[in-house]
Formats: sequence, C-alpha cells, structure tokens
Amino acid sequence: MTRDDYQLAEMPSLAKLYLNAAATAARTRVLGSTPSVDLPPRATEVHGVLADIAKMTEYQHLVGKAARDIIPSGYLHSMAFPVAMSVMVREDFPLPLLGMIHLRNQVEHLAPVQFSMPLSIRSWARNLAGHRAGTQVELVVEIRGDGGTDVLWRGVSTYLAKGVYLPGLDKPASAPDIREDFQAPNPTGIWSLGVDAGRAYAAVSGDFNPIHLSVFTAKALGMRRSIAHGMYLAARVLADVGSPKPEGFSWDISFAAPVFLPGTVAVRIADTTAADGSWASSTFAGWNARTGRKHFSGSVATLVS
Amino acid sequence: MTASNEQSPALTPRTIRPAVVVGGNRIPFSRAGGAYAKASNQDMLTAALDGLVARFGLADELIGEVAAGAVLKHSRDFNLTREAVLGSALAPQTPAYDLQQACATGLETVIGLANKIKLGQIDSAIAGGVDSASDAPIAVSEGLREILLDLNRAKTIGQKLSILARIRPKDLAPDAPSTGEPRTGLSMGEHQALTTAQWKISREAQDKLALASHQNLAAAYGRGFFDDLMTPYRGLAKDSNLRADTSLEKLASLAPVFGKRLGAEATMTAGNSTPLTDGASTVLLASEEWAAAHDLPMLANVIDGEAAAVDFVHGKDGLLMAPVFAVPRLLARNGLTLGDFDFFEIHEAFAGTVLSTLAAWEDEEFGRARLGLDGAFGSIDRSKLNVNGSSLAAGHPFAATGGRLVATLAKMLHEKGSTNDRPARGLISVCAAGGQGVVAILEGR
Repeated sequence: MTRDDYQLAEMPSLAKLYLNAAATAARTRVLGSTPSVDLPPRATEVHGVLADIAKMTEYQHLVGKAARDIIPSGYLHSMAFPVAMSVMVREDFPLPLLGMIHLRNQVEHLAPVQFSMPLSIRSWARNLAGHRAGTQVELVVEIRGDGGTDVLWRGVSTYLAKGVYLPGLDKPASAPDIREDFQAPNPTGIWSLGVDAGRAYAAVSGDFNPIHLSVFTAKALGMRRSIAHGMYLAARVLADVGSPKPEGFSWDISFAAPVFLPGTVAVRIADTTAADGSWASSTFAGWNARTGRKHFSGSVATLVS
Repeated sequence: MTASNEQSPALTPRTIRPAVVVGGNRIPFSRAGGAYAKASNQDMLTAALDGLVARFGLADELIGEVAAGAVLKHSRDFNLTREAVLGSALAPQTPAYDLQQACATGLETVIGLANKIKLGQIDSAIAGGVDSASDAPIAVSEGLREILLDLNRAKTIGQKLSILARIRPKDLAPDAPSTGEPRTGLSMGEHQALTTAQWKISREAQDKLALASHQNLAAAYGRGFFDDLMTPYRGLAKDSNLRADTSLEKLASLAPVFGKRLGAEATMTAGNSTPLTDGASTVLLASEEWAAAHDLPMLANVIDGEAAAVDFVHGKDGLLMAPVFAVPRLLARNGLTLGDFDFFEIHEAFAGTVLSTLAAWEDEEFGRARLGLDGAFGSIDRSKLNVNGSSLAAGHPFAATGGRLVATLAKMLHEKGSTNDRPARGLISVCAAGGQGVVAILEGR
C-alpha cells in the first residue's frame, strides 16, 4: 500500500462504472476532448474486499470447476475488475473505456486465497503505447491479504483502444501482426457456447459490458454480434487444464479473433510433466471449430520449482 | 507376439493379506439448506478428497482404485467418482467407480475395496460417499418426459406441434425425490415408527440416546478428536446439526413427527430422528506394504463384512432391521460374540432403529425363532456404543455416513491399542433403504 494511492471506501459498482463510461463517451462525442498521453499518476486501492460465496459458487459451476474454498484465479480477476475499471473511467485516463478490446492477460497466482480472507486490491495503468490498430495500455492489479501480506495474485491485462491514435505515440514500426499463420491442430475438447453465454458470465462476474450481452447492445458498439468474455474463455481453459494447481502458478492468455455467440470453439491443451511425473505446464489454444480461425492461445505453468 | 508358454501351469489363487485403514477425511456435515445449499455432490466429494490428498500427501499419486457414491444422484453425475478424481490432485490415471446401496453405500465401498486389497488386486484405495439433500435432482413428470422424447423423434413441424399439444398442466409438475419406499409408499420414518412400536421402545429411551449422541459428539470435538479427520468447507468447521446444549427436557418438548396414525403412542420426533443432511466423507485404505512405503499410519485392519436384507414389504420385519440378521452371521463366521468388541458403531438413522436392534438381539424368542440360536443373541455394554456420537448429532448425508463411521472407529481402535492380549475390536452396523443392511468388523493396530 502506498499512502499516495487513491483510496476507494468501498468496492465500486460495475454498473455505475459502465454508466459513467457511457456518459463520458457521449460527452466526448459532443464536446470533443483534448487528447492526453499521460496515465493517472497514482494507483487506486480498495481494502476489505470479501468474496461473495454464493456468486463464487455460481462462477465455479459456470466455468466447470468443482466449488472449492480456494478462490479460482479467474474469479480473483473478476473481483479486482471494478478497481481496474475505476482507473480506466478516471477523467485523467486518456482512452475511452467502452469498446476497448482485451488483448492479453498475464497472471502470477502466487499463493492460494481462501474465500474467507479479506483482501486489498490495488490497480494502476502503465505502458501506454502505440499499436498498429490504435493505442494499447496495461492495467496492473495486485491482490494482497488485508493488513499487508505479500502479493498473492498479480495480473496484467492489456487492452487496445481500436482506432484511437494519441499524439506522440507512434505505431511501432515493426508491429508484430497478431494474425500470424495458425494451423488448427487436432482438438482435445469442444465448447458449445450458447447465445446466452455472455449474459450467463456477466451474471456471475458482474462484467456487464454491453458487447457481451446481446446482438443489439453489441451492435451499438460496432460488433456484428455479441461476443464471449475473454475472461470466460480464460476461466474455462484454466478449469480444463486441471485443478487444483500447485501452490503457485502463472498463466498467460492472448486473444485473437473474438468468439461470436452462439459459437463452437475447438480447444487443444498439451501438458508437460516434470521428471517426478508431476504437472509442470500446459500450453493451450482455442479456435473456431468451423473456420479454424484462432480465438486465443497461451500457457499455464507451475511457479513451484 | 509372444508364443504361448506350454509350461505355464494352472494358476493358484493368491493368499489374502491385510487391508488397513490409513485414515480418513470428511467435510463437516450440514443440515440441508445450510452452508452447502449451493454445493453439488461433486463439489463436496471433491472437497473431502482434496483434504485427504493434502493430509496424506497424495498429490500426483496413482491410487489403485477409488469408489464412492451418492444416494440422491443427478443423471449427469453418472461418473461422479471418476469426475471427482479427475478434478482432484490425484494422478489422472487413477480408476474409479460409482456404487449405490442406499445408506450402506459408504460402508460397502470400504468393504469392496478392502477385499481387492486383500486379494492383491490393488495396493491402495479411496472409499467414500457424498449426498446432498439440498441440491437434489428434480425430474420432469413422467408425462412430460414421454412427450419430450416423442418430440425428439418427430420429423415434421406438424408432428412436433401435435406432440406439443399433448402437454397438460399436470405434466408440468416436477418430480422430486422422496424418502418413501417405492413398494409401500411409507416414508422411512413411518416404517421405523412401526418397528419402534413393535419393540415397545419408549420416547424417553429414544431421547436419551439422542442426548448421548449430541453430548458424545460435542465432547469428541472438545478434545480435538476430529482435528485429523475433517477439513472445513464453506465456512463450516463443525457438524451444523450438533446441539451441545440440548437436554432431555428440550428433547421431550418436541412434538412427534412419525407414527402419528398408529394405534400406539407416537414417540419419534425431529430430535430423535436424523435430519436431511449434506456432506461427504473419504477413507484411505492400503496394503501394509503400500502404507509402509509411503510412510503412512496404519490405524486398523478391515477384517470382514456382511450384507443382509429383510422381507419388509408386508411387515415380516422392520425396514431398517437387516443388520439384526447380518451381525450374528458375521460374528459366527469369525468365531466372535458381542462380548468380544470394545466399540460399537451402530448408525443412528433413528434412535428407534438402534434401540429396536438392541432389543431384538436381547430377545430370547427372536433369537430362537428368527436367528436360529439357542436363545437371545446377546446384549452390548452401552458404554461402548457410539462413544464419539453418531448420526443423530452429526447428521446423516446418506452415502457419506459409512466413511464417517469407518474413519472414526479406526482412529478409536488405534488409540485404544490392544486389550486382553488382542487388538481393540469394533463393529459397524448400517441400515439402509430397501430393507438392507451392511455390517463390518475392524481391528485396531
């Protein structure tokens, strides 16, 4: 905890944050805004955050996990998301929140977190940078036990504001094209995602971003249909990789083409084991079962050496 | 391809070897609708398994076989135990199967797996059981089920519409499970009320047994007996049905709930009957070699087991009286009498069940006419009965009770060590729906 952090007295409501973001977007459209290339200088922090056990159980069942007392890694992301969002809706945050695209999540889950543990969640933005399709930014989240334990969970989410180019931030000259050649391998699993997959995940995660909820709300933000939450895909793949994980593990997921709903996602998970036969890591990829277009790829690995 | 070896002689069966109880783990039992209301059978079985894996260092371990079951089971849980294994830290190559024998499920998994260990088919095993009365399956009505199946087979829109037109309001009523016996329509409690009245078991005797169950369970918690038998779950660290401060007066004040339409006085209340309960239990079994190689404790040997069933349908015997017949057969086979035991774990489905069982064993005429003995089977020293509490206090998640009993008794026998130049010995008796019962003998080590 840093004394200079913005302290929030309580967990912000995601619904209010989205309304706030919509109001900001409307105001910007009408009045215009002065582009800024600076990020909010300080982190935002909330203390005394407790998991809602009923919601957590619904989340565990939705993503296919047994309902353990340990908080799933993806659920910790959901719990922290309002804090990260309150960074992104600040007046001095230079990018519009609505319509931002989730590019990547890198998480170090350093220790198991029991649902009954009160948590401190701290978030800040960093690495505002040009992207060939707009401007990207990283939102860092750190979760500790209340009262200042070591970091239990650290996540970095990379978002892209598509079509937003800020002065002074050049597109990287040799921008890596995320649409690299992808040859769909044989799948190890198939997910059939219903048209309500976005609403179902919104209900357990609290993330009611309109692009996930319905064709109508998605079209309002320029999508042709509603799309699955990136974090839902991450949570499903983490559940499929297997559980429970060792005491500490890391995961990394990069998102390519969005998963339009309803849709069928083919998934491949490949495990590697240590010399003693214990699980060491898994790599994974998900793609459109019909077209072979890649939706996501990444890895999970033990942090215990 | 290897050529057949003409020198290979006929195989002789292997000799049997001991099967030991290494230990157990369960989650605290919760009254239905409580802390585990939203937890599924798979959630709870996984939680109990997680605790066992953690306690005995079984992560990435390939176990010989895992067997468990649930009485109230969703059709999607056809492979409940294997799914729980896959979701656990056990090696994914660990085979598993589901078993269902009503309330005897848990004890039967222990006996079956112990037999495989004794025969040398496997070296280690996990037995268990789980039940959720809160997250019970609810089926559509039989009428709606048939309509939906027909609809699935229909080919044209016209056919589909005419099938849909068959739906009547009564078809929409869901079909929830009940504790009623399919052949008699009587609930288990009503069945036991008949038996309780037949053996003239008094209300006071039943309440006393219930009180002892609560007091014994509370005392066992008080001295930390369950510390290495239990892992908290969903914020619960103790069985939520336990009423440490109950009293004979409080129990006597409860109104009867079963047997109210009998000629005899109704004596069975919510206090001397088990409540609907959610929970799960597991037991780690092994050969001596496996336990030694893994540097794990050996609490008790699984000596023998016996199943029995009674013809309850027209009232020849009480629904829950099968153990009355199983125990004499089991003891005769092993050359034992009731006097040769240090502990008795008689599952308290109802206080009346335990007391009717004891009354039958003490009855001269019943012994001669029904058990084929010279007289009464015998009586037990009541100070050896359910000394750490039983189902009346802990609650009774049907399939999970067997694992609770085995782990509890194995630890008690190990603590007692030997007595009269022999290992401490215990008897487990579990009655079950369908007029069945399963009983077993454990010896401490």
